[in-house]
Amino acid sequence: MTGLLEIRGARRSFATPEGGRIAALDGVDLDVGANEFVTLLGPSGCGKTTLLRSISGFEALDAGVIRLDGRDIGALPPFRRPVNTVFQSYALFGHMSVARNVGYALEVGGVARAERERAVAEALDKVGLAGFGARRPSQLSGGQRQRVALARAIIGRPRILLLDEPLSALDRNLRQQMQLELKTLQHNLGIAFVFVTHDQEEALTMSDRIVVMRAGRIEQQGSPRDIFRHPRTRFVAEFIGETNLFDVTVDRIEGEVAIGRTAEGLELRLPGAGLTVGRRATAVLRPADFRLAEAGLPVTITRSVYLGQDLNLFAAPAPGGPEIRVTARDAADAPEVGARVHLAYDAAAVHLLEGA
Amino acid sequence: MRNPLGWLLLTLFSLLFFAFIYAPLAVIIGYSFNANPINMMIWDGFTLDWYRGLFGFADRTADPNSRALYVESTDQLIAALKNSLIVAAVTTSVSTVLGTATAIALARYRFRLRGFYRGFLLLPMMMPDIVLGIGLLIFFVTLGMKLSLLTIIIGHCTFLTSYVFIIVQARIAGIDPALEEASADLGASEWVTLRKVLLPQLAPGIVGGALLAFVISMDDLVITYFIAGTDSTTLPVFIFGMIRRGVKPEINAIATLLILASVLIAALGLWLRSRKIDK
Repeated sequence: MTGLLEIRGARRSFATPEGGRIAALDGVDLDVGANEFVTLLGPSGCGKTTLLRSISGFEALDAGVIRLDGRDIGALPPFRRPVNTVFQSYALFGHMSVARNVGYALEVGGVARAERERAVAEALDKVGLAGFGARRPSQLSGGQRQRVALARAIIGRPRILLLDEPLSALDRNLRQQMQLELKTLQHNLGIAFVFVTHDQEEALTMSDRIVVMRAGRIEQQGSPRDIFRHPRTRFVAEFIGETNLFDVTVDRIEGEVAIGRTAEGLELRLPGAGLTVGRRATAVLRPADFRLAEAGLPVTITRSVYLGQDLNLFAAPAPGGPEIRVTARDAADAPEVGARVHLAYDAAAVHLLEGA
Repeated sequence: MRNPLGWLLLTLFSLLFFAFIYAPLAVIIGYSFNANPINMMIWDGFTLDWYRGLFGFADRTADPNSRALYVESTDQLIAALKNSLIVAAVTTSVSTVLGTATAIALARYRFRLRGFYRGFLLLPMMMPDIVLGIGLLIFFVTLGMKLSLLTIIIGHCTFLTSYVFIIVQARIAGIDPALEEASADLGASEWVTLRKVLLPQLAPGIVGGALLAFVISMDDLVITYFIAGTDSTTLPVFIFGMIRRGVKPEINAIATLLILASVLIAALGLWLRSRKIDK
């Protein structure tokens, strides 16, 4: 991975209405490689949009450095930065045709008309809107507007394409389709994408790397699988996908397996490596890690939510304690509410949070 | 219909309402064609004489009745109209530029006393015309300025800038700031963004504000009355002067022409608006 974008020690705070200050960016270091698809993921107010806007130049940093291709771009105004943005609201110019919208970067850049028209046609073709150039943005559907915004942002061949929650206004099917198309487009263009979202599913589907942010800091970054399977903190574990967390104290070691016990007396088998008796830890078990079995954790099914292929089961463990979420295949023998069943899981697959 | 009586009453009320608004105008238009020169309440047949008189075509000396004609000179009327048009044109240009620029500055930039400026801009609109008129008069006299078209133009600009500001501001509030960001993001400088994105988006508001400023400037009597010099009479001041010597048929003809001009301007404005929306 060659370093394309390099952010060091980025800080930015805003005044609150109460007269205090809140840190939107609290010392962020971020690297983006050429041709990398990086997703900034986090709840609203975590600083992900501020980070994106400081790359595009719409927010100035209080402290820190932003380098693109080794050049400090922190002092450049937005119109001099070789990055383009797809805005959440698309921000299409309503008084211009689709073709003029798409060709805007070239128009203000002084590119000759013939060359511009050729490039516009090519860009529209890339996003599947060939032949729509004469229309007005108001004559397009939401998904088509999204594509126009995309074509407009890539026509100038930016070094990085910034995307600010661009899919949030689309319906579910269209969103999933666009996710795949964006990934394909990014691959074909060979441009780095920095994508901001609060939707973990979106992040998992598209990214080469996910950067989870919380309260102005980077909580964890890594590949989607890494983030999903090995969350480092409780926050990441809970934010990415549904999860079950158990606060346990190691009760005893049985060979390869450590036995952890929750405050309610529920016993869990954990990977034993590195654990000693009396250690406290937080065990992470995804709903799909559990299987319904003949033996194992005794539970009573309390709720069952039908999802089509799968069932979301809520199970109360016999010793008491919080409900466990279990994903099960919907089948004729699926347990009813009230059924007493056993849950099995692979002790080696249990993930332990660091420092818990 | 759910309730025939209610429906009837509503229809009746609506008709009365429109009659109330338009009857005075209809009367003026009707009487402007009345041939009776002495008492215009009595219909004496159709004539275009008053219009001919206005445009200087009527031969007054040949007709003994022409004593009733009291537009002393068509030239005076034309001169007043010319003054009004000059004042309205210059005032509209100046106040449209100032009002638009102020609206953009207050909406898009943060600076000290922003709220104060906003309130300050609305004040000339709230101020009673007569107070503004007297104030301007004293101001010009203190400065030693001779009352002329220039003083009228300055006076009109003081409050018409506020009108344009209000209308453009309403428009700018509905424009997504992301549009300007998108323009900057795509490589346009602030100046290019203003020209290619913000002004075209604001155009309906700017045109609306300009038309309103033009109509108000053409129509203003009270303020202009104070700050117009003897050789810089505008049309409303001239008509007011005529009326003080009694309502005569020519007034009806002038009023009818003014109504026509206003309707044309309003129609132009509506047409421009609808064209913008269709796009």
